[in-house]
Amino acid sequence: MVKIFIDEKPFEVEEGITVFTAAEQAGIEIPHLCYHPAFAPEGTCRMCLVEIEGVPKLELSCATVVRDGMKVSTNNERVVEARKGVLEFLLADHPMDCPICDQAGDCKLQDYYEKYGMFESRYSENKEKREKKRKIGQTLIHDQERCVLCRRCVRFTREITKTHELGVFERGVHAEISILEDGPVNNKYSGNLAEICPVGAITDLDFRFQTRSWFLKSGDSICPLCSRGCSITIDSHKGFSHFKVPKRVYRIQSRRNENINGFWICDIGRYGYGYINENRLEQILLKNEQNEAMDWEKALKILSEKMKKVHPMDRSSGAVLILNPWLTNEELFLIKKFLIENQEFENVYLIDIPDGEGDDFLITTERSPNKRGLQELGLKAKSLSSDKLPEKIKLVLAFTPPNIDSAGSASVKAVFDKAETKILFASNKNDLSDVSDMVFPTAVIAEKSGSLINIDGVLQNFSPALEALGDSRPEWQILVEMAKEIDINHKYYDQFSSPETILQEIRKEISDFGKKSD
Amino acid sequence: MSPEFSDKVKKQVQDILAHYPEKKAALLPVLHVAQQEFGFIGEDTERMVAALLDIKPVQVREVVTFYTMYNRKPVGKYHIQVCSNLSCSLLGGAGLLDFLLKKLNIGLGETTKDKKFTISTVECLGACEQAPCMMVNFDYYGDLDEEKIDKILDNLK
Amino acid sequence: MEEKLLTKLFEIKDSFTIDVYLKHDGYKAVEKAFQEMNPESILAEVKNANLRGRGGAGFPAGVKWGFVPKGVDKPKYLCVNADEGEPGTIKDRYIMTHNPHLLLEGILIASYCVGINTAYIYIRGEYENVALGLEKAIAEANAKGYLGKNILNSGFDCQIYVHRGAGAYICGEETALLESLEGKRGNPRLKPPFPALVGLFQSPTVINNIETLSNVPKIILNGAETFVQTGLPKDGGTRIFGVSGMVKKPGIYEMPVGTNLKEIIFELAGGMKDGKTLKAVIPGGMSAPILTADEIDINMDFDSLAEAKSMLGSAAIIVIDEDTSILDVLKIVTKFYSHESCGQCTPCRIGTKWINKTVQRIADGQGKIEDIDNIKRLAKNILGKTLCPLGDAAALPILSIVNKFRQEIESYIGN
Repeated sequence: MVKIFIDEKPFEVEEGITVFTAAEQAGIEIPHLCYHPAFAPEGTCRMCLVEIEGVPKLELSCATVVRDGMKVSTNNERVVEARKGVLEFLLADHPMDCPICDQAGDCKLQDYYEKYGMFESRYSENKEKREKKRKIGQTLIHDQERCVLCRRCVRFTREITKTHELGVFERGVHAEISILEDGPVNNKYSGNLAEICPVGAITDLDFRFQTRSWFLKSGDSICPLCSRGCSITIDSHKGFSHFKVPKRVYRIQSRRNENINGFWICDIGRYGYGYINENRLEQILLKNEQNEAMDWEKALKILSEKMKKVHPMDRSSGAVLILNPWLTNEELFLIKKFLIENQEFENVYLIDIPDGEGDDFLITTERSPNKRGLQELGLKAKSLSSDKLPEKIKLVLAFTPPNIDSAGSASVKAVFDKAETKILFASNKNDLSDVSDMVFPTAVIAEKSGSLINIDGVLQNFSPALEALGDSRPEWQILVEMAKEIDINHKYYDQFSSPETILQEIRKEISDFGKKSD
Repeated sequence: MSPEFSDKVKKQVQDILAHYPEKKAALLPVLHVAQQEFGFIGEDTERMVAALLDIKPVQVREVVTFYTMYNRKPVGKYHIQVCSNLSCSLLGGAGLLDFLLKKLNIGLGETTKDKKFTISTVECLGACEQAPCMMVNFDYYGDLDEEKIDKILDNLK
Repeated sequence: MEEKLLTKLFEIKDSFTIDVYLKHDGYKAVEKAFQEMNPESILAEVKNANLRGRGGAGFPAGVKWGFVPKGVDKPKYLCVNADEGEPGTIKDRYIMTHNPHLLLEGILIASYCVGINTAYIYIRGEYENVALGLEKAIAEANAKGYLGKNILNSGFDCQIYVHRGAGAYICGEETALLESLEGKRGNPRLKPPFPALVGLFQSPTVINNIETLSNVPKIILNGAETFVQTGLPKDGGTRIFGVSGMVKKPGIYEMPVGTNLKEIIFELAGGMKDGKTLKAVIPGGMSAPILTADEIDINMDFDSLAEAKSMLGSAAIIVIDEDTSILDVLKIVTKFYSHESCGQCTPCRIGTKWINKTVQRIADGQGKIEDIDNIKRLAKNILGKTLCPLGDAAALPILSIVNKFRQEIESYIGN
């Protein structure tokens, strides 16, 4: 540890870290554009200059390592003047088109101007004209005029994806970031480029002109689209009092997590949020009674009656339970305790979600978030597509995932075709929702809390990033209420007021649950 | 058709590569060789050089566009570069540039119809004692005046 | 009188050949270094000579060599800076053209001293004909056993390669030069790490100017004591002054460090061309702040010029006459730096162009009186804020011109 002074306050900081990091840890913001913790400092934007006692020139905070006794000023007159000067240069050629810029609200240039600038423009020359909307990738638009040449994007394609699509061409004031004529950004992580761009130079076609960032509420979550379990933020829009907005979720961005995904997420996770917005089941459906509004209490009563109707003798052979690896640990545990052990569902099947293409970075082949949780809970499930079905099926309870494909639903359908009573728990409409006797709308991962275990065995808790849609509820809640309705061991299920309480119970049974990370 | 080095040039490139512990370091000299061979560095040449040095074409483009000596388009048989820096300007370099442009009847950066001459300006050539000076391909001509330029051009066949 | 340490052979016929060089004590210093001295005593000699870098910054060469760590596994490199891009500078071309073996001998001694087996001469691409001459000289030295394996039976191997740049002033900056040599854009690197530790190909590297290294053979042959007798005690030897602009006899003049600028212009270079009056002088390449006519009675050494708030730089003297508009000078200066800015850091990339545009606007008759203060303000916002010295190299001459010739610039601005 070394002792340093930042703005006259003493701090004990780790040896070898930079002044920037030390200040950040102390809660002192130093403006910066080119610096990004994923990359080695390049020191080109010159926004993070600070004064260090005894050093004649202002120094880069991003690249200067702390020394014992160092006295740093991040905000004195000289530093602020230099910062203003750099900002003035950056804004000189800037098109100032914030009203039509999607970065507005998230833009560092805007933030810094408001905080450190606020000067009248003294630029009386003609601005450099540059290309304003070049499509540089499937989802990316590049605006050369807004670019501050921080090179974060170039470094990303060079160091992270190693795909080398972007480069800096020309030099001096003509220097520009560009692709080759026939070499658009084409990698599975391209959306990160729009995200790390500190200004509005690279914008995301998916978000472009859709809404303004200040209308959005950000919530933390975990991406469920593969078994990596990347940390994400979900930006959603509540709508306005006088008119509805076309979407709920507008944007998914990566959230820093050194243990899982670093700073990045893949494009599958970034753009694959359609299921949260579209085709959702919002109400409980009861066959032949579509017009009747159904509340949960009533519906669970009906369900409990239907379950009780299955004679205990038929339970083991005639009741089928269909699970999927999108269910959280807590939900799977409740299914195990309540449905399998107590209600004696012996025919447990898992919906097969076909593998996708993985890579050696973040994307795994498993297109579901919690296969590992299923294993660690010791839940044995047969394959719905390859294992034999029981002869006669009285009752089937099916939990389907949002990304069920036609083969998956066909395999569930095959069970439904044989079954007398068909109950579906699903977040999204699918081929089964119309042929079920009852459909219970469930919340998606983004709307619930719980935990998942990723491919490497890391257990991650998550909370709702947005409210559950319509009447939908998370499965764990439905299961607890079902158990209470059927009236088995009321006291046991009463304790499960939240997923955390369920996880505690899991750990009572499996002490190292979710602690076996590879 | 993508360009290819002749066997002689390939040998030359091998010699250059032997100078460096990393292939990539040979990029500038290999681009010089390529320009000598093809007259300019086009996209195809960029790609060929990238493959030769095990780097990405975008890295070649970065370098080609950084340095002023690489021509991205064909130039005339004689590329005349007139110094526009201080010592040459003090001694009338700008007037001589105008004289040249008028004489060849082209604009700055343009090539004569017969593809013989291209004229551009250049920053200090390091021959200030011979100001005003210019470079024709790799040959320096100093202490220029209109008469001398006439003679030089006459000798460039 | 001229003091010819480096340029002595220039007028002899075929001075560039190894035969002529050998006839005039050529490679005697290498023999002495290899046979009578060791790396430590060579380093001590060069340090005692206080040989200051001739490229511009004036850093003592011996100290630079001493920074290179001993006993590292990695190969070490010597990069010889022959980029010679500083406007007005012509001296290195003369050495390479007329006495390349002097340079090669200097390279050899430096390499032996630091433990380097590979040296690259980074020469500006426009000097193609000079580069060909150097390559010929290297071939000659190889043939005579002064380069290659086991040189003079010393067990020491050394090879020198000529590496051509391709048109970029910034590559004269030592870390940009390294980037360029590695096949990249000439973007200067952040320091630290310094090249002596992490330089070319991530290895310890010495970067010296042509003229600096060309002084080494004389220091070794005649000793540091003799060397410091010329010039100043802390800034010894000679400088090859390159004189250009409005003088009768432009050219190179080798004189002791500290020679008076007036003497160089009016005696050696023959005074003003066509009987014009001297208006201003740029004393050390374009990056050096300008001197007015009444400031030229000054000794040409690092300290004296620093005291006058200018710099000796590459000792390239550009003489400007009274008929030249200072605005034209400013236009050329600002155009040059904006053209040569590598573009990676904000103040230099945008600031140099902004100033250039304003100067151009004044020249076009659209100037406003507040433009002058604004130019100064912008130059100050570049000064000391950039990643590499190019920012200062641009800002300082601009500031000096605007400060010293404000009235004249104002006269170009209409009411």
